[in-house]
Amino acid sequence: MIGDQGLSDYSVEANGLTKYFGDYKAVDHVSLAVPAGSIYGVLGPNGAGKTTSLRMTLGIIDPDEGTSRLLGGHKPQSVRSRIGYLPEERGLYPGMKAREAIAFMGALRGLDWSEGRRRAATFMTELGLERVIDAKIRKMSKGMAQMVQLIGSIVHAPDLIVLDEPFSGLDPVNQERLETLVRREQERGATILFSTHVMAHAERLCDRIAIIARSARRFEGTVDEARALLPMQVRYTPRDASDPAAVAANLPAGAELRGDAWHFAIEDGGVEPLLARITASGHGVTGLSISRPALHDAFVHIVRQVDAGFDADATEDAVEEASA
Amino acid sequence: MTPFVRNMFVIARRDFLAIVATPTFLLFLLAPLFMIGMGLAGGMGASQLADSARGAGRIVAVADPADIEALRSADTRLRAVMPREPALLELRVATPAIDPIAVAREKGADTYAVMSGDLAAPRIVEREKDSGSGRYLALLAGEVQRARAAGPLPPVAPRFEALSSGGTSIAVQQSLGFGAVFVIFLLTLLLAGQTVSSLAEEKGNKVIEILAAAVPLESVFLGKLLGFLGVAVLFIAFWVAMAVGGGLAAAMLSDPAALTSTEGASKAAAALAAMPATGWPFFLGIGFVYFVLSFLLLGAVFLGVGAQAATVREIQMLSLPITIFQVGMFSLCAAAASAPESSLARFAQIFPFSSPLAMAARAATDDAKAIHLLAIGWQALWVALVIWISVRLFRAGVLSSGSGWKFWRRARGAAATAAVAEAASSQPH
Repeated sequence: MIGDQGLSDYSVEANGLTKYFGDYKAVDHVSLAVPAGSIYGVLGPNGAGKTTSLRMTLGIIDPDEGTSRLLGGHKPQSVRSRIGYLPEERGLYPGMKAREAIAFMGALRGLDWSEGRRRAATFMTELGLERVIDAKIRKMSKGMAQMVQLIGSIVHAPDLIVLDEPFSGLDPVNQERLETLVRREQERGATILFSTHVMAHAERLCDRIAIIARSARRFEGTVDEARALLPMQVRYTPRDASDPAAVAANLPAGAELRGDAWHFAIEDGGVEPLLARITASGHGVTGLSISRPALHDAFVHIVRQVDAGFDADATEDAVEEASA
Repeated sequence: MTPFVRNMFVIARRDFLAIVATPTFLLFLLAPLFMIGMGLAGGMGASQLADSARGAGRIVAVADPADIEALRSADTRLRAVMPREPALLELRVATPAIDPIAVAREKGADTYAVMSGDLAAPRIVEREKDSGSGRYLALLAGEVQRARAAGPLPPVAPRFEALSSGGTSIAVQQSLGFGAVFVIFLLTLLLAGQTVSSLAEEKGNKVIEILAAAVPLESVFLGKLLGFLGVAVLFIAFWVAMAVGGGLAAAMLSDPAALTSTEGASKAAAALAAMPATGWPFFLGIGFVYFVLSFLLLGAVFLGVGAQAATVREIQMLSLPITIFQVGMFSLCAAAASAPESSLARFAQIFPFSSPLAMAARAATDDAKAIHLLAIGWQALWVALVIWISVRLFRAGVLSSGSGWKFWRRARGAAATAAVAEAASSQPH
């Protein structure tokens, strides 16, 4: 069912999405551009505005400002049948059988009921849920029901799959199954956009990510680009550690001795000079690792920077208020 | 089939099966049996009470022995032609010891009136002033006096002729109109109220976001109405089938001779002769159409209200005013049915929420048929309008979305900008 993407290379083009709830600005000019056929992650702490951004992107709620175009410049409402959506708040009819629930969700997107039932059985068997194909939702565990809903959101083979916190509530085995499923859907040709605050999934799956914090987008790029925001981390253990001050003299400022190893950050291009200095110093090397920070670190760094900015603004406001 | 209609049927199918394919639906289906049972029990109790009251009541005539037979004979003659049967007549022979007031106060029976003395100028003691019983005793005395004065008369030999096709009286047609109003009101109120909890349930189990993401909300609302209408039609079909089946069974079990007897045939003919002005087929057909429209209209209101509610308590609080409003519409239409030419009836026929009921009543008394097409179009327009408003309310209230809020936001933003500009301009330079 992968269709013509039209003139655009992007499956999602959201520009300047803004949403108020009362006086609270839940989303502040968030823009997303998701390349067709990619896996795109929207990361952010709880309450950052990820879900509202996704809902506006899909046209479930109207933005107060901004526009959203999907699958080649179409309005979200006009391409509903080509989209699969797993909301953050899972919802199924408790009295429905799993197979019927999946077929129903497919039928809502234009899939024939009988074909929906057939695909439901196939998907469930592949995901190890064959025992509960004809079980009622109310008799399933939360994780099973979540997998059923996930299948329901992709049963009609959509061009664009939007998953809001898909890994939340799943055990590690099911998380792995879900990752496999996401990759398989990408191989089929679908574009996948998902939100999460678990960095490991994003790091393994995403071609590109956007980080949203305090209602606004704070970063957009690849995982490597995000990691490159922080300097590389070095862990160095000298062979001769008898004179720590002498060792520290060859290391960048801020180097910290923990146990028998020194920890410090180093900028790109600083590796070769460092190696030269260590070799020349004669303290030797029993251990040396140079690594990029994980996405987790980059994420925490970005969010903390934003929070610090907000705190500084708040302090400034408070000082101004007090002086006035 | 367009995607909109297809989506509507997907929603309708789900809702229809979710209701019908459950054991509780059987209870719902049989609910009228409980109502009939309760009605029968109440009716029997009331009937027994009336019988016992009737048996306990009496009127007493204390007369000379020579007048006793004449009074009894007059009572037999008059009682047969009285529109309301008087209480039983007790005749007593007059003695000096009998006191009419004491007789009226005797325990063990309700004595409505006691007549004593000469029939030319009787004394009548009444339990209530100007009572019918007292007047009847006076009539008896007069009848005896007249019979004595006139002497024996030759018997009257009347010849009765019944109109074979005199048409249905206006009163009967108005009764048919009232019946249509009552049936549509009762069915609508019983079945349309079911829709109120539907969207609240979906908000509770979070399915609404899936629906809102997949299909237009108008499809969701219309689909739900259609699903519940299917349940209503199933309900009606079941009870019509039961009624027809019961009637046939009763006919097969009863004595065929009685059915074919002249009296039986004439009763059946009389029942069938009660014809609504537009004829039975049209009246029943248009009655069903008006039921559907009334159901859709009220169901859409209930659905819109239910969509705003988050809990069962809120649903109950919100649906009560609608129910009271609908009872008001019933009263309006019942009054309109009894005065079909009045301006009240015209208003009821035009006002959208009473129109289906009032127009059904009109089909019983007015033979014009084209006007119903206009009414159906008018009511369908209102169904669409109510759904449109309900969807907007739902989007604005529940999904915190919609253009109305956006407009408000912009208006507030413009006002804030203006205020800031004004403050800036008033600053000293």
